[in-house]
This record gives sequence, C-alpha cells and structure tokens, in this order.
Amino acid sequence: MSFQEKSLWLLFVSLIGIFGCYFAVVIPAKAVDVMPWHIGLFIGLVVLLVLIQILGSIAVAIASKLSGSTAGRHDTDERDGLIGLKSTRNGSYVLAVGVFLSLSLALIIKGNFAFTHLLLGFWVLAQLVEIGSQLFLYRRSA
Amino acid sequence: MGKSGGLITNMIRTLRFHHGEITQQELADRVGVTRQTVNAIEANKYSPSLEVAFRIARVFGVPLDQVFQYDGDA
Repeated sequence: MSFQEKSLWLLFVSLIGIFGCYFAVVIPAKAVDVMPWHIGLFIGLVVLLVLIQILGSIAVAIASKLSGSTAGRHDTDERDGLIGLKSTRNGSYVLAVGVFLSLSLALIIKGNFAFTHLLLGFWVLAQLVEIGSQLFLYRRSA
Repeated sequence: MGKSGGLITNMIRTLRFHHGEITQQELADRVGVTRQTVNAIEANKYSPSLEVAFRIARVFGVPLDQVFQYDGDA
C-alpha cells in the first residue's frame, strides 16, 4: 500500500470517527436552532481531527520510510492527478445534492439546526465519497 | 481513469527483462512517475498519457509501437 493510500485511509477513518461522534451527540438533542455548545463541540472535534491528521501523517511517513516504500524520486504523477480529479468530481455530485436538499429543508423546517446539520452531514459524506473514490481507483489500477 | 478496457497492451515486462531486468522503481525514476503507476501500466490497468508513453519508449530505446500495441478493430 502506497503512502498516499495510507494517508487516505487515515483521513477516511478519522473523518468517520470524529463526525460520527459529533452527530451521535448532537442529533439526539433535537434542537430547533444551533446552540453554542454545538459550535464548541464542533470546533473541539475539528481541532482533534487536525491533531489526529498531523500525528497520523507523521506516523505513516515514518512507517513508510522504515519499510522503504517511499524510495522513489516522484511522490505524485499524472495518475494521481487523474484519480484526484475524478474523485473530486464524485464528491462534488454528493455536495451539490446536499446543498439542494438543505436549502429545500430550510424552507420547510423552522430554525437553523436541521439546515446546518444536513448541510454538514452532506459535506462529510462528500468528503467520504471523494476519499473512498480515491481509494477505490488506487486499488483498481494498483 | 485512463483505462482502455484492455485494448492497449504493452511489452514493458519483456523490455525490462531484456534491459538488464531493471526494476519498476528504476523505470519509474527514469520516466518521472511513481512505481505504482509503472505497475499499473505494466498490468494493463492504466493507459498512460502520450508523453509518458514516449518517455517509456525512450528509456528502452525503441519506437513507441514496440512498447504499446492497440488491439482494437477500428
């Protein structure tokens, strides 16, 4: 497994973990509007996500160095670019659907809680689709 | 993603053998791509750009059609 794939798996798993925790705590509260503690929890978890990413990336880089899998002179090339573009396109479809549904929901449901969290949920889903697409394409043409 | 549906085949494995069994990593370094990309091209899972195809042919010192073959009807 290449360095890119390991980094993508790290991002994929940490996104699911962090935002899974966030939604598991916030959604059962069934608030009408976004509360200050929602924002505090969100910021705290995003900071945690960034820390996990930094420490995880360092660990993956060290592991790759030790196993010699980063021996090449070129880290990325045209295939990585193509995989990135296709994955971003897939993620953007999901995000576009999410934006449309969130705006529709905002017209129907009172308060900003549902709108904000549906939009956030679709953003997370779009990220997961993008990363998942990259992982799939790397595996398919590995 | 640059996939030809198996229509484009290549002789990279054979050419590597005939050129002193150079490794995928060595070929990748000389062409300017990653080892994973050379592996994908060699396994017919990824069709490279024309530029990379020419660079691979240049490394082996052969014309392009000795490295890549198009098996389509059209």
